Amino acid sequence: MEPLTGMGVLALMGAAATIAGASEDLESDVGSQSNPNSQVQLAPQMMYPHRIYNKAISGEPPSNALMCAIGGTVATVLLGMNASVILALTIGSLVAAMIHGTFSVSSHLGRIASQNRFKQPLYLDIVKSHTPVIIAYSFITTICILVISYLMVVVLGHPFPLPLLAFIWGITIGAVGSSTGDVHYGAEREFQNVEFGSGLNASNSGNIVRKGESGVRNGYDNSWFCAKFGGPVTGIAFGMVVFLSGWITTVFDASKSAAMGWESVLAGVIIVIILAIWNRKIEVAARNAYGTYKEDQDAEVAA
Amino acid sequence: MSAGGSGEAAGGMSHNTIIGLGLLGALIGIYAAHFLGSYASFLGGIGAIASILWGAESVRRVSSYGLGTGVPSIGMIALGMGVVAATFGLAVGGVAGPVIAVIFAALIGLLVGLLANTVLKMGIPIMVQSMAEISIAGTLTIIGLSVAMVGSFTFADVLTGVIATGYIAVIFIAGGLAILHPFNGNLGPDEKQDRTLTTAVEKGAITMIIAGIVAAVNAGASGALTIIIGVAIWYIAFSRFYKLVKRDSFSVVGTGLLPNEEELA
Repeated sequence: MEPLTGMGVLALMGAAATIAGASEDLESDVGSQSNPNSQVQLAPQMMYPHRIYNKAISGEPPSNALMCAIGGTVATVLLGMNASVILALTIGSLVAAMIHGTFSVSSHLGRIASQNRFKQPLYLDIVKSHTPVIIAYSFITTICILVISYLMVVVLGHPFPLPLLAFIWGITIGAVGSSTGDVHYGAEREFQNVEFGSGLNASNSGNIVRKGESGVRNGYDNSWFCAKFGGPVTGIAFGMVVFLSGWITTVFDASKSAAMGWESVLAGVIIVIILAIWNRKIEVAARNAYGTYKEDQDAEVAA
Repeated sequence: MSAGGSGEAAGGMSHNTIIGLGLLGALIGIYAAHFLGSYASFLGGIGAIASILWGAESVRRVSSYGLGTGVPSIGMIALGMGVVAATFGLAVGGVAGPVIAVIFAALIGLLVGLLANTVLKMGIPIMVQSMAEISIAGTLTIIGLSVAMVGSFTFADVLTGVIATGYIAVIFIAGGLAILHPFNGNLGPDEKQDRTLTTAVEKGAITMIIAGIVAAVNAGASGALTIIIGVAIWYIAFSRFYKLVKRDSFSVVGTGLLPNEEELA
């Protein structure tokens, strides 16, 4: 393939990945999946009943892998029936998003029912209002992942079948979303009542912010907040994963010669080293700007 | 007791009944789907639901020893062991394939359970038995869904129709979540066995529907029948699940503000 065509396809995949990353993170935030979930689960036990969706399907990687694998499977079946590509990918994503919705509902209902002794009420309006949002976000995530996987199979000639590629990308996006965006919700949004950067003291466990900017806080408010930073940052992170991992093999095409293959490995290692140094510099700069933890300062004064 | 608990899980249905139901139900379903012709391929899906039920109960039992965030990992390891055992059993066993896969799965599960308790020192008394059970349940789920997809468990058919096409990925993750999600989704101190197992049937029905969608393009299996029966089972199971949620919840309200301190006291 022409290198220029390859770069064009890669750019398209990177764009789809950026959207997928953002929607994946916001989807998990509406339902409080993964990292923030432990505190939402703990809150009623600590006498803090809440109106927040408790979507404990599993960790994000398995639940995203599920919806992407279902989408890829249905799309492959439809493509086998000679359906058009857009129709196949759309219906595949729709089926996947609906099934994701059933998993969301069963986890919220199930977990609230299992908190009977803490007097946590089951608010049906939360289920009815939040589940469609979760389905919509998961539809966007799945269709973007299917576009990436389809381009890899058909244009870039990847040897793996579509359902398997979608499955692998599903795990990847879940892992990226879980590690990147969730921190914004789990560490900041849930604990806006304590000083910024103070960490989670054990005595604050379960004491999540339950009152909103207006009224009682719910998953909508959390996704509104996370759409400002956590979602986009997850999008950039996943977009970079897709783009950079594809870029090294598009520029240094291993199918041309073995030497090129090693050059692509070398390019990957160099990128990882650059990112590691860059991250270290950000961390040091942040530590210099915001200082050490309060506890450490107190200890120094006492000494 | 479950979340953060440290004792054996209790429940209305005895564990041995569920083992019998899961093992026999799955094997009968798989063999019937294989031998009774293409219209009977949905029986593979029914067999998968039986093994998912058993797997979910085993996850519930072993996770009650305070496993917490390890619940999803247990479900994934079930299907991980299952893939190895299922492909090995079907490859060498011929018509006895599923039975050989079950025996092989039990051996892998015993080994993993022993490693977990001796090397990792997890110290869960029922770990070895539970790992064997979860491994067998994962194996039977994979074979059951494969039969529902291609209509036979002959290794050549499964290899070309399920593994080479990549559908094994969806079997792996949908089967794994159907086994791990019921307990994970119902986690909490007031978790009840019947509600968790109803969730398992509901999620099992979803895997059956997916298998039916794949079967639609395979001549050896009946897609429409599998999808219709899967949807019917899902509807019945979900309705029952919602009834049990209303039974077990502290209160079910359309909307409302947060309870105040007096109401919580």
